[in-house]
Amino acid sequence: MAEGFRLRVCHRKTGRLRYLSHLELVRACERAARRAHLPYAVSQGFTPRMRIAFGPALPVGTAGEREYFDLLLTRYIPADEVCASLTAVTAYDLAPLSCSYVSGREPSLAAALTIACYDLDVKGGIPPEDLRHALDALLRAGTLSTEHKGKTKVFDLAAALPKEPEVRSSEDHTTVRLTVRMGEQGSLRPDVLVRTALGHDVPATVTRTDLLIDDKGVWRRPL
Amino acid sequence: MSDLWGRVDALLSGAERPSRYIDREWGAVHRPDAAYRVALMYPDTYEVGMANQALQVLADRLATLADVACERVFVPWVDMAAALREAGVPLFTLESCLPVSECDLLGITLPHELAYTNILGALDLAGIPLRAADRGEADPLVIGGGPAAHNPEPIAPFFDAILIGDGEEAVLELVAAHRSARRAGVGREEIVRSLARVEGVYVPSLYGAGPGGRLVASAGAPERVKRRVVRDLNEFESPACPVVPYADVVHDRATVEVLRGCSRGCRFCQAGMVYRPVRERSSDSIVRDAVAALTCTGHEEISLTSLSTADHSQLADVLRRLARRLEGTGIAVSVPSLRVDSFTLSLARLLGGGRKSGLTFAPEAGSQRLRDAINKNITEDELLATVRAAFGAGWRRLKLYFMLGLPTETDEDVAEIGHLVARVLAAAKEVTPPRERGGIRIAVSVSTFVPKAHTPFQWEGQLPLSGVRHRQAVLREAMPGKGVELSWHDAETSFLEAALARGGREMADVIERAWRSGAGFDAWTEHFSLTRWRAAFEAAGIDAETAAEAPFAEDAVLPWSHIDSGLAPAFLLAERRRAYGAETTADCTFGDCTGCGVCPSLSADLVLAGERRG
Ligand code: SF4
Repeated sequence: MAEGFRLRVCHRKTGRLRYLSHLELVRACERAARRAHLPYAVSQGFTPRMRIAFGPALPVGTAGEREYFDLLLTRYIPADEVCASLTAVTAYDLAPLSCSYVSGREPSLAAALTIACYDLDVKGGIPPEDLRHALDALLRAGTLSTEHKGKTKVFDLAAALPKEPEVRSSEDHTTVRLTVRMGEQGSLRPDVLVRTALGHDVPATVTRTDLLIDDKGVWRRPL
Repeated sequence: MSDLWGRVDALLSGAERPSRYIDREWGAVHRPDAAYRVALMYPDTYEVGMANQALQVLADRLATLADVACERVFVPWVDMAAALREAGVPLFTLESCLPVSECDLLGITLPHELAYTNILGALDLAGIPLRAADRGEADPLVIGGGPAAHNPEPIAPFFDAILIGDGEEAVLELVAAHRSARRAGVGREEIVRSLARVEGVYVPSLYGAGPGGRLVASAGAPERVKRRVVRDLNEFESPACPVVPYADVVHDRATVEVLRGCSRGCRFCQAGMVYRPVRERSSDSIVRDAVAALTCTGHEEISLTSLSTADHSQLADVLRRLARRLEGTGIAVSVPSLRVDSFTLSLARLLGGGRKSGLTFAPEAGSQRLRDAINKNITEDELLATVRAAFGAGWRRLKLYFMLGLPTETDEDVAEIGHLVARVLAAAKEVTPPRERGGIRIAVSVSTFVPKAHTPFQWEGQLPLSGVRHRQAVLREAMPGKGVELSWHDAETSFLEAALARGGREMADVIERAWRSGAGFDAWTEHFSLTRWRAAFEAAGIDAETAAEAPFAEDAVLPWSHIDSGLAPAFLLAERRRAYGAETTADCTFGDCTGCGVCPSLSADLVLAGERRG
């Protein structure tokens, strides 16, 4: 993204809107930018498109507490004004949380964001010790292979999980907190990890709580 | 009020495209404290139903009543319907996630015959008795309306009332009639009777079989139900803030209806007969409403819709003004289809983007004789000249629509389609630089003629399936092999459409039987089974072939005789005669009144925003 003002928006994708697919989310954000009358930049060519770029996609059904997109504006408008006008025309569950301009030379969100933090709320009364043991055993095994559309992916768990998973429990549910490093293979899905560890499906709601940039070993938020 | 969200939510992680069921779109209106609740249902999936403009218009009208809530309902896809049934969750409205059965009124669009089994499926999932006669005081009023209402009989027993014609005013009157009858404390029978006093409303239970197959009205109901007509569309703003879907719906764009009706007079076309007279909106109100809708929705495209948008007397003006307003926004303006005779390059250029999406024309028949017989006033010379102009200016894609089984059609007429397409292809090549000829795409889409009520061809039977197959073979033989993609609209589906569209009240049994044996989503080829429908016809003791194919005598009482579309029977008969003589009839918006009868009989008039030039 060059020529123009690159605005970074942090927003949520929560509640019922966690059911949106990535494409649906993209379209919803584009439409919000048009409703807000932002001076967005448009690509050249037969089908002019808004110059907007997103971070790593969330699967359908997974919520996000801090998701990001970059929008190129042709005119400078103070970031908090943009944020206010976007908020006024966006559903609560997709609302922007903060906006800020970033340098046009920064790498794209999709390339820069390599660390994802998740909370997985497990329902169905699985004792936290069982979960802990199952995860430990899987980590000791060292790899996890997944099958998707006939393709097998093998994740090296030591690399994919830069932090030890945490299991916490309160009265009625158990939460697994995971930190995942996203690589060329894509991202290890937390629900897949827990399912594989337990050996069966569990009803769970998944929330991506944070997305971080790994800046030579220092993790920071993109905003 | 019982909010079902928790139970619906629990089923969504396993559902295909869950965003269909979650509501919360931009523009969705929530009125938790409303005193009266209308559920508006389109009998197909969210993606198909959200494209329906009539529902948006009705919702917009109902929103003007402060204490009334209007909530959307769509038919859950097969997977979700099964999950709901298994979990014992009834059909719900999107906005409040309420059981549909708890609403006061359930309005159902009648888009076409293939949606009928979905209506039964939805009523059943909602826990509402299928037949009006079985409903009690607590059940919502079930009211239909839409294109297929012009022959309401096949589904009459399932509805408490059916609106014939435009809904802008009638929908408010229906709600008012219901509420005032309730205030008076009368029972369901009286309530339903009071609806019959609303102009354009047909209450099937008030009509019984009389002598000679004629339906006879009981006291208080009109002998014939006159179609409701809105006199001037300019009195109603086009919806400025319709719901903006998240899901990728069929026509994902903002729309403004630029005119209603079409009097080109194609003799097979029901819409062209039953939406007369032509009523154009002024260019000021079109531009105003288009800009308002784009501002409120954030859509990337605005479509100027109608049966024949290119006929609008001020279209060029509208397009120029919109182009100026939308410059630099990347927002596109589109029109649903162009006519050969009103296509001009300057118009097409104003539409931008048209080059990649290609052009669409509907000559419908291959020979001039047959085009004259159906009153499709396109000559081959015009078509070829248009093709040369378009391809010469850089267009590379063209789609042509034709019909098989038209009245008076012969094998020669059908072979002529192939020859015409060959000449179109040659004309396109002739003006395309040799290097680019490989990019030429001509798509030919062929459907089967379905005779429809209130048209000059309403007495005709459909060409038998074997005949359709034979003509398809003739056409395949006559088609140029290379450079043309030929596709067929499923002939078996058209056969069912004809059988249902020409039927009377007895057809309700067939529909119910078909649904009970598993029919649903019949408009989705992968779900359609003619075998299942044939069994339903047989079980109901009705011969499907006769229903679809036997012509009606000109003096017969037609199943829709009690519905007054405003068209003079003498006009329809005269048009039929002219068809047999291959004589054309002019469009009254370009010249004199041709006497269809609609204006005098419905006290309406043509409304043109300017002068139309042919
Ligand atoms: S009555 Fe005359 S002017 Fe009116 S729609 Fe019919 S033909 Fe046209």
